[in-house]
Amino acid sequence: MTLLVLGFFSVALTLLGFFVPVPLFKRLTLLGLALAVLTLLLTWGKPFAFGPYGVDGISQTFTLLTLVGALWTVGLVRTRRFEFYLLVLYAATGMHLLASTQNLILMLVALEALSLPLYALATWRRGEGLEAALKYFLLGALAAAFFLYGTALHYGATGSLLAGTPGKGPLYALALGLLLVGLGFKVALAPFHFWTPDVYQGSPTPVVLFMATGVKAAAFAALLRVVAPGAPEALSLLIALSVLIGNLAALTQKEAKRLLAYSSIAHAGYMALALYTGNLEALGFYLLTYVLATGLAFAVLSEVSPDRVPLERLKGLFHRDPLLGLALFVAALSLLGLPPLGGFWGKYLVFTEAAKAGQWGLLILALLTSVVSAYYYLSLGLAVFQKGEAAAAPRPLARGVALLAALALLLLGFLPGIVLPALAQGG
Amino acid sequence: MVVLAILLPILFGLLLLLGLPRALGVLGAGLSFLMNLYLFLTHPGGVAHGVQAPLLPGAGVYWAFALDGLSALFFLTIGLTVFLGALVAKVEGRFLGLALLMSGLLLGLFAARDLLVFYLFFEAALIPALLMLLFYGGERRLRAIYTFLLFTLAGSLPMLAAILAVKALGGSPTFLLEDLLAHPVKGQAAFWVFLGFALAFAIKTPLFPVHAWLPLFHQENHPSGLADALGTLYKVGVFAFFRFAIPLAPEGFYELQGLLLFLAAISALYGAWVAFSAKDFKTLLAYAGVSHMGVAALGVFSGTPEGALGGLYLLAASGVYTGGLFLLAGRLYERLHTLEIGRYRGLAASAPGLAALALFLFLAMVGLPGLSGFPGELMTLLGAYKASPWLTAIAFLSVIAGAAYALTAFQKVFWEEGQREAEDLKGAEWPFAALTVAALVLMGVFPGFFIKGLQPLAEAFARILGGGA
Repeated sequence: MTLLVLGFFSVALTLLGFFVPVPLFKRLTLLGLALAVLTLLLTWGKPFAFGPYGVDGISQTFTLLTLVGALWTVGLVRTRRFEFYLLVLYAATGMHLLASTQNLILMLVALEALSLPLYALATWRRGEGLEAALKYFLLGALAAAFFLYGTALHYGATGSLLAGTPGKGPLYALALGLLLVGLGFKVALAPFHFWTPDVYQGSPTPVVLFMATGVKAAAFAALLRVVAPGAPEALSLLIALSVLIGNLAALTQKEAKRLLAYSSIAHAGYMALALYTGNLEALGFYLLTYVLATGLAFAVLSEVSPDRVPLERLKGLFHRDPLLGLALFVAALSLLGLPPLGGFWGKYLVFTEAAKAGQWGLLILALLTSVVSAYYYLSLGLAVFQKGEAAAAPRPLARGVALLAALALLLLGFLPGIVLPALAQGG
Repeated sequence: MVVLAILLPILFGLLLLLGLPRALGVLGAGLSFLMNLYLFLTHPGGVAHGVQAPLLPGAGVYWAFALDGLSALFFLTIGLTVFLGALVAKVEGRFLGLALLMSGLLLGLFAARDLLVFYLFFEAALIPALLMLLFYGGERRLRAIYTFLLFTLAGSLPMLAAILAVKALGGSPTFLLEDLLAHPVKGQAAFWVFLGFALAFAIKTPLFPVHAWLPLFHQENHPSGLADALGTLYKVGVFAFFRFAIPLAPEGFYELQGLLLFLAAISALYGAWVAFSAKDFKTLLAYAGVSHMGVAALGVFSGTPEGALGGLYLLAASGVYTGGLFLLAGRLYERLHTLEIGRYRGLAASAPGLAALALFLFLAMVGLPGLSGFPGELMTLLGAYKASPWLTAIAFLSVIAGAAYALTAFQKVFWEEGQREAEDLKGAEWPFAALTVAALVLMGVFPGFFIKGLQPLAEAFARILGGGA
């Protein structure tokens, strides 16, 4: 259903784009995404399969998250060209597909379907964006090649193209490793993270929001299918590197988008902790709070400037616009995982998964690095209260969404129980 | 009932933040105080007014709150201190809102019967404290915030690890206190678990040498003293040692008892020593707080019923008198725009009412018999003597030193030759003074009335530890 809705709107709007004025086009895109969310919620907990395409708990949970990201991006962006909305819609379709298949070939197709629009979106601003997009594209192509190789070896090792088929032997290990590399690139797990800071910095902020939320959610859905049945040993190395590199590099950043880029690497590492047990509840909840908090942070940043945002420029934001200032503060504290914000329970849940899997070394590393992260999240969150001249051009929609997300983070902090049963049911 | 008492100040706090007029905030603080008073007076003994609702289904986390004698006493002192603060501190409505919010979170912290919920409130109470410092603090507030937060976070992490470990290693099905107590951690693991708790709670006590965040925190806070009074209430370390850390891992406690007793005695003496040389009113009070908390911690660490009883009573009483003194400092600052002790000089002639109030507060602080500080100190020292006579003697020096610094400060501010004049008590400050003095005297003359709810808890505590050290 969801695929039909997304597909229908993608096609229909492609044709309509040439005739319809842009503001209306934006609304139509929003309508399409909203309808997709609606169909998703109506069919919640009801599995459905058609050939290699199958809607199950993983698919529904992660599609919902990507759609939230897409809605947010579309709502936030200011552009006079309809192609932007269309590209987001295509990418969202690809993401839904990626989250909804066990077939490795279809995954590859979906991966490309979501990546190509994003390459284009990354170049939305010419000039600096071009270099970022080129980097993104080249590394993305490389990752796709790795994924394809992995798929081939997977077929060779197990005789099946279904992700998660158990197998053994060096060939199988290599296959899983290669698949991991391909997807690790998309979720920005270290050491496949090199593109992240440059692309985040070079791309327009709403696009970065989409990359940080939608792509991550969709790729984690795929990772969950590929990795969960038997996590390869390399995974722990990736996690350790991610939380270390992400957090330590973020410490020295003076630019907000780069800072969040490195922090997103660290978060990918934390999320990957849940892959050991494949607990959908923990990963889903973490991603939910992460999507809300990161989306919130990028939404505020894009209000301050569509361009680079050095921390200096955030100073004084609170005095200029208390709502946006507080929103960024809440987002930073939630990303830090300070109770009683939603981010705390996310961390709590994935850390418990790591403990269940007996990964004590990783758990301790994760705990220690999250203390380190306090430093840079605080410098981000507290910057808004310092004296300075921040520029902000607030718009009612962006403010409304920011308020909503901040409240959701608070609510999830005090009542995490309200979404967990739904996630559990989905899984 | 108890949930209502917790939610009332939180609700008022949020409304004030949204722009409710300040006067209604005072009303809210008053209502909260009356409600807490009612809860205390009608408290039947044992654990009462409990509620329990699942928070994280499947993970064994519950919204569980209940009152026992201990939390009822803290409810009373928190309600009183916040009400007094709301009455006299000349602050904006939003500031008062943050204060009420924080008091509600503190109530939740003291009433929590689930370890993870306790942690949640422990951390959540940080946020209003942080915002008060951030919006209304002094010049160096960012440094104060960083110090405060880094210390606190450094403590809460081992604590979180300890919380998870207590459940996992003890084998309890939930994080509820009763379940955890029924499954204490044994053996070598108990040491590490206790260490995790001890780090967090030592920072919050604050024990020497992890008290370093405290003076800056007080110096940089708004001069009205409201935030400081709440900060005093936030010193939950002793309480948390008593309620969670020691009963949940008694074996770990034994291994560290000597060290903890030593640190507590050192804190008591060191705090008094620095307070003696402090030039600024708030620094003096901050270090006096370190000293008093050292004595209180000594009582709890002694593991005897008298010691624990005394330590907890001292903790509750110090919330009232130290809080009162911080508010008094705020009054003085408003009149003379300085916190430097040397610059007040001879205020007693022009402001006799203020001087009398200050005298009561200072004497309560030094533990004059008949005022609120005395019963706690006496019982603490009696209990601690059983555990370690030598360290008790050291800590006892701090009581003498306390008399020295408090009376010197009092003498300088109110009697020293000089011609500073200040307005006497006025308006809402009269009820503030009357209520404070009444509380100090009542707590000093009828300690039995306040302590009776604590008695069974202290005995149960000592029983867990095998009847004392």
